[in-house]
Amino acid sequence: MATPSKTPPGVDPKQLERTGMVREIGSQAVWSLSSCKPGFGVDQLRDDNLETYWQSDGSQPHLVNIQFRRRTTVKLLCIYADYKSDESYTPSKISVRVGNNFHNLQEIRVTTLNSHSITSSVMNNQCLTPPPPLCPSSLQQLEMVEPSGWIHITLMNQRTNDPISTFMIQIAVLANHQNGRDTHMRQIKVYTPVEESSIGKFPRCTTVDFMMYRTIR
Amino acid sequence: MNEIQAAVWQALNHYAYLDAVFLAERLYAEVRSEEALYLLATCYHRSGKPYKAYRLLKAHSCSTPQVRFLLAKCCVELSKLAEGEQVLIGGVLNKQKSQDDIITEFGDSASFTLSLLGHIYCKTDRVVKGAECFQRSLTLNPFLWSPFQKLCHLGEKPDPDQVFRLSLQNVSIAQPPPSVSPAQNPSHRLDTALMETPQDTLELNRLNLESSNGKLTSDLSVSYIDSSLISPETGSLLGNPVSMATAGSLLGKQNKPKSGRSLLGGPAALSPLTPSFGILPLEPSPGDPTYLQNYSATMETQSTAPSKKSVSRISQSKSVFSQTGNSRDVLPIPFNQSQTSAPHTSGSPQVLSPSMSGPPNVQPRRSSRLFTSASSTAKENSKKLKMKFPTKIPNRKTKCKSAKTSNSSNLNESLDILRLDPGLSLPDTKSPQYQRAAADSVMALLRELGRGYQALCSYNCREAINILSSLPPPHYNTGWVLTHIGRAYFELAEYTQAERLFSEVRRIESYRVEGMEIYSTTLWHLQKDVALSALSKDLTDMDKNCPEAWCVAGNCFSLQREHDIAIKFFQRAIQVDPGFAYAYTLLGHEFVLTEELDRALACFRNAIRVNNRHYNAWYGLGMIYFKQEKFNLAEIHFKKALSVNPQSSVLLCHIGVVQHALKKSDTALETLNRAIGIDPKNPLCKFHRASILFANDKYKAALQELEELKQIVPKESLVYFLIGKVYKKLGQTHLALMNFSWAMDLDPKGANNQIKEAIDKRYLPEDEAADSQDSSIMTDADDTQLHTAESDDVL
Repeated sequence: MATPSKTPPGVDPKQLERTGMVREIGSQAVWSLSSCKPGFGVDQLRDDNLETYWQSDGSQPHLVNIQFRRRTTVKLLCIYADYKSDESYTPSKISVRVGNNFHNLQEIRVTTLNSHSITSSVMNNQCLTPPPPLCPSSLQQLEMVEPSGWIHITLMNQRTNDPISTFMIQIAVLANHQNGRDTHMRQIKVYTPVEESSIGKFPRCTTVDFMMYRTIR
Repeated sequence: MNEIQAAVWQALNHYAYLDAVFLAERLYAEVRSEEALYLLATCYHRSGKPYKAYRLLKAHSCSTPQVRFLLAKCCVELSKLAEGEQVLIGGVLNKQKSQDDIITEFGDSASFTLSLLGHIYCKTDRVVKGAECFQRSLTLNPFLWSPFQKLCHLGEKPDPDQVFRLSLQNVSIAQPPPSVSPAQNPSHRLDTALMETPQDTLELNRLNLESSNGKLTSDLSVSYIDSSLISPETGSLLGNPVSMATAGSLLGKQNKPKSGRSLLGGPAALSPLTPSFGILPLEPSPGDPTYLQNYSATMETQSTAPSKKSVSRISQSKSVFSQTGNSRDVLPIPFNQSQTSAPHTSGSPQVLSPSMSGPPNVQPRRSSRLFTSASSTAKENSKKLKMKFPTKIPNRKTKCKSAKTSNSSNLNESLDILRLDPGLSLPDTKSPQYQRAAADSVMALLRELGRGYQALCSYNCREAINILSSLPPPHYNTGWVLTHIGRAYFELAEYTQAERLFSEVRRIESYRVEGMEIYSTTLWHLQKDVALSALSKDLTDMDKNCPEAWCVAGNCFSLQREHDIAIKFFQRAIQVDPGFAYAYTLLGHEFVLTEELDRALACFRNAIRVNNRHYNAWYGLGMIYFKQEKFNLAEIHFKKALSVNPQSSVLLCHIGVVQHALKKSDTALETLNRAIGIDPKNPLCKFHRASILFANDKYKAALQELEELKQIVPKESLVYFLIGKVYKKLGQTHLALMNFSWAMDLDPKGANNQIKEAIDKRYLPEDEAADSQDSSIMTDADDTQLHTAESDDVL
């Protein structure tokens, strides 16, 4: 039996931001954790620093709760996990649940990327958002094998294939590598799609000539 | 004491503020007089510490006008507007002075006082009174640009032709030391023994001296000090320490008051025909002792009637030093000293004196002797001053006497002067006609600039561009003019032109920050991130205290889509200058982009609070209401923006879309037609017109519009997307699919969802009975097609 291939890293989310297609909205949410070691909590999870991390300190599953003030469309979750530095603390099985509040959460289908398509498309400058993968791994739960970078998790409404619109997201770490008890998570980013239509319900325009006249600044 | 004062002034003139402050402090400690207090306060203010001047002056009672003026100025700079107002016009308990009182009280500096007062009124929301003050200030002194500018900003339309006119009175004002020139009687005093006494003329002399000291920009303090100092002065030649100091001991040295040249600009090589400031008198004629003797003799003999002449004589002599022409002899009124004495229209000064034919503008009466000076001292002073007078006087004497006859000759002469080869800077240049002509051309230039600026402020951008572009090259190629033309193009949404002009500005005046925020927005629209980040770095390195630099930095990061950092920079711009409306507007736009609409609303409202005519902020409010689907409110705000700037096609386009959303499609179409009429190159207007026609089922018209649009913007995916939708509605599915696929090709990343949906939905109407499975199969089929397409690309 072939060893399962390692989960390849995705593209740096900063590049996604620069395309203007998505916007990071973690700052608009309230973050909470099921447990954490002192000094390794939410701040370290959201500090844009890959050296610092959240370390859980309780029983599994470890939970990250993201609560928005209002119903928000979320397209993409990016989690940074690195097997080489975290070894047994690296999460291996992640479940994403959405709902209105703690009592109303439902697991949703997540898809993740195949890095090949991402990197080459980046090079060809074609498409930086995670396209539907060549071999869609749309599992109920995300399984990672020795990840070494950013994992992009696309959240999609099953019926309409649109990004989901929700009040709350819960990321649950169900299992770690080597059956570790606690988990490290270095960074999590939440992205919403940007609707750039300034006027009218049209998709965004592509040429500078059009965009120049779009708005008065 | 005078030596010390002279030394202080000399230090100030050499920008040695530490020395000046030190000496002034010693002087004040020694002699606790109001003049010394004023001198010390001036030193503090010049060295950039208005708070010191403020506290010093507050602690002591101030009675003289110039001290009060300085105190009011410091108050305004420290944002203590109420206090400043109180100092100028008296408080609630005392009787408040009217503008006329102020004019009589402050005399020559009345124009600046009124300008300051107008500024206070505008900042405290009494716009009408502020505008009045600015108008008065301009009538008193047409050389002041800032009241004119502020009037334009308020939306008033001051007529540049009326404003920038020299009249007798203005002539006097134009003098550098417009200190209360006692002698500067406006015409109406002429009748009454004009310069009644030699005193006045002597005052004039003093003033002349001061003007000769050269600072064109009236150095109030200089003049004030002078007058006050001179009065008690008797004795020494050093009676006029100011002039001594500033002129670098003019006495007997016949130095050239080069500083006086400021108004007339620098290089002599100006075209004589276009508003040329003419050639400056480079060499004042050396003081001719003989002449001076004559002068003083004449002075004394003419204690009565011919005071006119003496005055004129003095003024003439002054003219050499004063940059601008002395309106020669004829103006018995001492103003000759005014630089640009040229009585604007008629070049015939002669006419003025005898008849004192009322100058076109009614001159407010000015008391002739605001500074009571012992006449004797004045006289003596004048004697001392005589050395400074150039030898031209004999000429003028004759001219003076020859009243009207020389009138025409003067005119001719002035015309001749105008035609002089600029290369010849010669004795002719010293003649008063020349000076007057130069002054006239200054005024002509200011009129042009005023017209252009006003057109820009009322957003008649085409006209503004025409007016400003027709300025002569030396003036055209300056930062101010190019910036404003660039701004006019910006308001017309012609960003490439604007960018060209602004980059020219950067090349010739790299230190200019005013207007750079508009440049940065232009680059933002053109999406030139490299140029924008270079500009941002340059400006923030150069000046961290100006809001424009931080606005540029914010725009740079906004273009990079780093909205949080952009927000930080815009907030910094606001911190640096809370009165800079554009920073609030840009911050509001950033909040809209980060979807924080309530904060954005607050920002736009702040911008409007600072500047009611800031149409970008009204537009921003309209946009927010549009996003929130409050279409009525959106329309109201867009219309308000349009009332400020009626020429903006982008605004009209937005109004059209809003009206369509309000179901007023016909009005919407009319509005869009108007927009296209104003700016046929705006593709969005046509696009929205096409979409409205489409929504109203006028497919043919919509298609036609879109075909035209395809020619204008061939690479825009939205155009193909809309064409595809039209064809779909028309049932021509293959054409629709073709256009959709073109649209997707042109925009692989962006509009995928909507276009894909449009493609998917194509199947649904055909297949009403089809269950979702079918459509999803179709979807999958499409998806696989797309995927294969993509994977082909990938591999």
